[in-house]
Amino acid sequence: MSRLSSTLRRPPLARLRGGNNEGVLVLLIAMLSVAVGLVTPSFWSLGTVLNVSTNSLTNLVFAMGVLIVIISGGIDVSFAAIGIFAGYAVIVLANKTGFGAPAAWVGFGIAAVIGLGLGMLNAAAIAGLRLPTLIVTLGTQGIIRGALLFYIGSKVIPNYPPGLDQLSTNYLVTAQGAAAQGAGVTRLSVLIIPAILICVLVSLLLRYTVVGRGIYAIGGDAESARRTGFPVVGIQVIIYALAGVLAGIAGMMHVTQVRLANPYELVGDELDVIAAVVLGGASIFGGKGSVAGTVLGVVLIALIKSSLILLGVPSSWQRAAVGLLLLIGVTAQALSAGGPRRRVDLLAESAP
Amino acid sequence: MSDMAVRVVRRMSAERSLVRLAVLTLAVLIVFSLVSSTYFTVINFQSMGFQVAEVGLLSLAVMLAMFTGGIDLSIISVANVAAIVTAQLLKSTNAATAEPAQALAMTVGFILAGVLAGTACGVLNGLLITRLRITPILATLGTLQLLNGLAIIWTGGEAVYGMPTVFLNIGIASIGQIPVPVIVLFAAAVGTAVFVNRTGIGLRLRLIGANPTAARYSGLDNDRVLMITYVASAFLSSLAGIIIAARSASANADYGVSYLLLAIVIVVLGGVNPMGGYGTVTGVVLAAFVLQMVSSGFNTVGFSSFTYQIAQGAILIGVLGLNALARRYYSEGRPTLLKRRSRTEPATPQPPGREA
Repeated sequence: MSRLSSTLRRPPLARLRGGNNEGVLVLLIAMLSVAVGLVTPSFWSLGTVLNVSTNSLTNLVFAMGVLIVIISGGIDVSFAAIGIFAGYAVIVLANKTGFGAPAAWVGFGIAAVIGLGLGMLNAAAIAGLRLPTLIVTLGTQGIIRGALLFYIGSKVIPNYPPGLDQLSTNYLVTAQGAAAQGAGVTRLSVLIIPAILICVLVSLLLRYTVVGRGIYAIGGDAESARRTGFPVVGIQVIIYALAGVLAGIAGMMHVTQVRLANPYELVGDELDVIAAVVLGGASIFGGKGSVAGTVLGVVLIALIKSSLILLGVPSSWQRAAVGLLLLIGVTAQALSAGGPRRRVDLLAESAP
Repeated sequence: MSDMAVRVVRRMSAERSLVRLAVLTLAVLIVFSLVSSTYFTVINFQSMGFQVAEVGLLSLAVMLAMFTGGIDLSIISVANVAAIVTAQLLKSTNAATAEPAQALAMTVGFILAGVLAGTACGVLNGLLITRLRITPILATLGTLQLLNGLAIIWTGGEAVYGMPTVFLNIGIASIGQIPVPVIVLFAAAVGTAVFVNRTGIGLRLRLIGANPTAARYSGLDNDRVLMITYVASAFLSSLAGIIIAARSASANADYGVSYLLLAIVIVVLGGVNPMGGYGTVTGVVLAAFVLQMVSSGFNTVGFSSFTYQIAQGAILIGVLGLNALARRYYSEGRPTLLKRRSRTEPATPQPPGREA
């Protein structure tokens, strides 16, 4: 309520900025596009759009799960492990037993169920035992990755079951002679449709459902949420179960897209996704964040990566660039929010 | 429950966790000695000693940050920066082909340079956390990525070789029967223990972790203490980096990524409260040895390294879970979900009157 009224009372410029700095991100993306476009005119092509969309696809779905967790005041570093576990396990299962081999959607269903199960591990430790989220998800990351490599397999699998194989070459749009990485063909996978659908669903969930409002409430202040009547433990279980499901689906998308099931992938690249969510205006202290901001954050990171390639910067610079971008993003956020300290001060002063 | 009782329970549980660790150490020792005949040998313990030092030092680094209620995720990147700076300097000056006396001087000088560079990264962490008010998780997550990225740019993603024998000896030599890395670890542990327990800054550091608001109202300069904490943490990580470079005879931007989880497991297993304030150096060092013994045991028995990864995660959540259940049992439903502690409960003893 107070957020709504404060948005309305703001001057027009601030309203344009958006509740989570979405306006700033749009401006940043536009400026980056113009700058890169001036240096290399081939940037302005359908190929770039397709390239950035293709590269954002899986991170978009991962980011939705991370966003939910971060809004609730937690942090998740296990999503990449869950994703690759689910994706790789489905390929192994389909190749060994033939179950779900003809139809790709069965594979995605299994991946979602695996993700749900692994997400429940997090839910049990966080909601049940009330342990710190970073430490729990670090632990489950180790368990899940170790279990994948030890029990499921540690080899790269090039053979795909027919259903997923077909899906991996099912393109929505194809652009000839695209800009990215010289000549060649840029394609956009049909998987962009479910990815966008998931973003819309998460947005609706966060905005219009009791659970969604509860996620914001818990992130704002768990004790107040409890006293207001939100079932805190129940909502936390939903949060981590849902984050698991989304990670499972995203992992399956990744495995489908790259057409080479490699169990060593994804884990270690978590920061790209967390950075995107934080850049998108979600607060690490909880209670703040939006789907639109997160989508822009994911797009910004993908755009920067492909621009670096386009400008001829060696790919070894990408990691440092994302790190720097994250630090700039959180600095801007910390400065505009005044930091956590002010909040503590207010509390302390009201105390007798 | 009165304050007194709460304090007594906490005191007991702190020592209980040390007793539990000691029992665990014995149990691990007995089990693996029974299973494998090569386990309880001097050579095996020596090889454990060579391996435990680097991760032990990294654990001490994480411990310091956790004492203040924060965390340092950048330990590995900082260690690699120190290692790469030292290795690049030694390589570019051809120290390996220099006269022995000259090589020794260069080695000492360049190790200092490497440690200094790593420690400077700690200043960066400290500035981000105290000046820009970025929460430690995000600040160190950012520097983890940034420093790793800079190291990749500098080395081109390849390992740096070509260090003199004097330098490599740090990682492979023993004095008496004791490996040099273990001696470094013990020296650092004693130094850290003195710093945390016997200096004013150390006491304030734990007070901040126990209750930052109370610490500030007691007139403490939280920012200065936090800065010193993250610099000290980076210093310990840099020492680990030097040992890593000496032991593996190379420096690499991506070395030891799995050490982050391991270091946090060790710190938590050692009885440090992730919310800040409580824990002992003894516990952390003991925990580092226990996990090294488990790892070495898994090796001698022939288990895969993947199962060790599973064990690490399971130990982390298991130990924390047991602690949480025990805490819930002893103090009726303290709101652990919130980081805030109730106002009537004094978090730690009074801050010392003397200034450091």
